[in-house]
Amino acid sequence: MELAAQLALNALHASSLYALVALGLTLVMGVMDIADFAQGAIYMLGAYTAFFATREFGLSFFIALPLAMLIGSLIAAGNYLIVYRPLRRFSGATTFIAALGLLLILQNLALHFFGADFRIVRAPFVSARVNILGATWTGYQVLIAICAVLLVVGTWAFLKFTPIGTSLRAVAQNRRGALVIGLDPFRVEVVAFVLAGALAGAAGTLASGVNAFDPSIAAIVVIKAFAIVIFGGMGSVPGAIIGALIVGLAENLMAGFVSTQYAELTAFVLMVAVLLVRPRGLMGTPEAKL
Amino acid sequence: MSRPASGPAPAATPGAGRGRTILYWVLGLASLAFALVAPHIFTGIADRHLLVLIAINIILVASLDLLIGGAGLISLGHAAFMGVGAYASALIVKSGQPFIVGLLAAVLFAGLAGLIVGIPALRLKGHYFSVITFIVGIIITILMTNLDDLTRGPMGLTGIPFVKINLFGVDHTFRTIINKVGYYYFVLGFALVALWLRWRIGRSRFGRALTAIKGDENLAESVGIATYRVKVTAFTLAAAMAGVAGSLYAHYAAFISPDSFTFVHSFDLFVMNLLGGAGTFAGPIIGPIFLTVISTGVKALSPALAQIVYGLLLIVVIVALPTGIAGGIKRLSATLDRRKQRGATVASGGQADE
Repeated sequence: MELAAQLALNALHASSLYALVALGLTLVMGVMDIADFAQGAIYMLGAYTAFFATREFGLSFFIALPLAMLIGSLIAAGNYLIVYRPLRRFSGATTFIAALGLLLILQNLALHFFGADFRIVRAPFVSARVNILGATWTGYQVLIAICAVLLVVGTWAFLKFTPIGTSLRAVAQNRRGALVIGLDPFRVEVVAFVLAGALAGAAGTLASGVNAFDPSIAAIVVIKAFAIVIFGGMGSVPGAIIGALIVGLAENLMAGFVSTQYAELTAFVLMVAVLLVRPRGLMGTPEAKL
Repeated sequence: MSRPASGPAPAATPGAGRGRTILYWVLGLASLAFALVAPHIFTGIADRHLLVLIAINIILVASLDLLIGGAGLISLGHAAFMGVGAYASALIVKSGQPFIVGLLAAVLFAGLAGLIVGIPALRLKGHYFSVITFIVGIIITILMTNLDDLTRGPMGLTGIPFVKINLFGVDHTFRTIINKVGYYYFVLGFALVALWLRWRIGRSRFGRALTAIKGDENLAESVGIATYRVKVTAFTLAAAMAGVAGSLYAHYAAFISPDSFTFVHSFDLFVMNLLGGAGTFAGPIIGPIFLTVISTGVKALSPALAQIVYGLLLIVVIVALPTGIAGGIKRLSATLDRRKQRGATVASGGQADE
């Protein structure tokens, strides 16, 4: 019972980070049909933001978090304005390759300026212990879970209840229809990228306290998050979240009972399995995307 | 691809068409002659190393072009299949088998990997296929690192035997560390076969099915082409050819590690294919020559810089040169033709009809 509870808690903790990145990816994918792998670099830069803000400038972790979200959304908006928007008349393959180009550029700029050393951020509440159903969490893990839930619920409420969120969903469901009724695609697209950048930046910062990182995590994180997006259903918000929960759980089961070495591959195995059975993903539907 | 690839250049007049055929033959034979004398012009060991790499890359790009130029399937994990071939061949030959068995194993295992990857990946259309190939490419390198009982993990395989062949009753070993010329010709032979194969497939019924899929997959399906099966076949074939290149590379370098087959190398091949010109005969020759030289030069300056340059190149190439250098030349000559034609009609007092 205790083991099960501990496993479930660890899974929840991993899932919450995956969900944030997958959510940003699926948003951009729904609105613009772009596989924006550059978000992996934003995640990585979010982690470095936390590192430099707390270590070099002595700022509190709670200032680093919004700062990383701000930087993340600025980079995402910049990527959109400089690269993706000029490329919008090209096919999806072109924008995907451009995204990989961006990922490569940002990752290697980080390598050039920050070096290849592994870093970890001194996170708040690490020594605090919380007991839930016999399983133990550190205070920091609780913080991650709370932040992730707030961000996910916030994103959901934003999409559901605000006018701009509604137009975002409209564009994702039927682009032409949305343009016919006079929605401004530029505004919607900028918002999608800003939101995605903020989510990726936040995920990077939150992860920086538990997982050691170097510039190469950019690619590793984004391919796993993307596998989750494909597993959950491309462009589907509930799909991204449910996908993240399932992958987090499956990974921890693998690590707990089979082998830690191959736990890393769980997300990809699930992705391949779903592709064989249901190519549009768990929650994916052909028409409605968000 | 995004823009329609430039079709066959409109033949201006029958005379000009024949002239062009002769021109192609002359160019082709001149290039072949140049390829044959190249190691005697560039005699430095580093230059000859580049020549061997170019020949290996030609095999890889010719096989990749079957997918990108042939069917419009943008695969971004091609280096991983080369890696599967390299490991298969290296392990088999290290266990005491002759090179030819290793080469066959490389073809078999790389082709098998292509089949296993192609079956789920080709379920997805358009750029999602590219995304999957990219992810799979990374997974394969993770496997190479993690299956360390077999691959010795990140340390890589060392002491891979050189190729031993029996030439007219005389045993010959290509000791590529000391002498690269012999092996260059050996690989060049494979490269020529690969180019011929790519060309031959393009003209076959299978190749026309691929072209139809590239043009409009639904239409191809509706005229009775089993598109999924054709695509899986092409993907398997391309992977098997990449396996050959992997085997040749493994026994050339005598050392392989997961780092030799990363997604960056897959990008390399993709850019070579696009820069040279996807779907053209000369593309898989021009691209590898250009990029192998450039990337070696930049890597010597700074490895991080090299990858930044690569990222930029990736974006610039796909936007500015969707039909590559060979496609650009084709377009240019078509424009010149039209202009010449117009000049001729104007001179003869006729009306320009364009």
